[in-house]
Amino acid sequence: MSESKPQRRLRSTALDETDHRIIEVLARDGRAQSTTIGEELGLSGNLVANRIRAMDSGGLMRVVAVADHRIHGYRMVARIRLQVTGRPPIEVAQEMALREDVLSVHITSGRYPVSCLYAFHNAREMLEAVRNASADIPGVEDVDVELVNNVYRYIPAVGPLGT
Amino acid sequence: MPSETPEYPTTDQLDRDIAVMLAHDARISFRKIAADLGVTEGTVRGRVKRLQGAGLLKLVPIIDIDRARDPVAGGHSGGQHMMFITVRCASGKLDHVRQALLAMPQVSALYDANATPRLVAVCILPSLEDAAQVMNQILGMDGIREAESELVLQSVKYNATIGPIATLEDLARQSTD
Repeated sequence: MSESKPQRRLRSTALDETDHRIIEVLARDGRAQSTTIGEELGLSGNLVANRIRAMDSGGLMRVVAVADHRIHGYRMVARIRLQVTGRPPIEVAQEMALREDVLSVHITSGRYPVSCLYAFHNAREMLEAVRNASADIPGVEDVDVELVNNVYRYIPAVGPLGT
Repeated sequence: MPSETPEYPTTDQLDRDIAVMLAHDARISFRKIAADLGVTEGTVRGRVKRLQGAGLLKLVPIIDIDRARDPVAGGHSGGQHMMFITVRCASGKLDHVRQALLAMPQVSALYDANATPRLVAVCILPSLEDAAQVMNQILGMDGIREAESELVLQSVKYNATIGPIATLEDLARQSTD
């Protein structure tokens, strides 16, 4: 198999070596043309285009535009962590996930099992959200607010696309 | 280290509309975006270039965490783990610890939080052994008072297209342009 030419695949569940080489080029330029990528890797432009489409439709890889929250009118981002008792944390996580300004929600192994990345237009909105989370959501025992200040690195190369 | 956060460059509704159109497929043609938004293709191209240059927009491939392989060692696509590490530093050691964390390839995002000397690192790791190794390395660093790890067990929601992506470096570069 490793000796044969990379093939076009209709459906894929895992990334192979050819996919990874294509992704490496996309990491340098997410809008690189399929033919340009093909020339660099010694593949046909058609094959590259098909591979990218298959990875996208299979949920394996997606070329996205990640925008800073401020482009969307948000002024601040905080990681809000919730301590939950007497209730499965997943239920609290699902309630938080319904809020539009909540960008991501994870269940973690920590003392605060529900971890949300939450965006706000102003400080008052943040204070209200924190107050609401502890007052209105059953089972929320404690709330920890971690306001993102300076960002030193942000490399979004891997993420839970399947959620 | 800069004493305060540099000014954030201004953006307008057109920047936002372009970001929204590119969000879930960053490879769609600028011609289509231009036609939909009623501007020229050159305008779209110029806006995207400016936003990218300012670190406000990144057009990048994201691999699904369940299918990703170890970026350092290669190998099979067995999935990866995400871990948050919250670090509290001894006084005067924040810069030192930050540099040490930035030197670690496993750290995919790093920010400081609140007014307290708290650093938060997001790590993408191929195995639990790697998670243990990262914690050992961090707890062994000079200037660490406390390091708390949180392993992501389940992701309920994930918006890959919005985040605090502009780094201090991006903003500093912008303000000197």
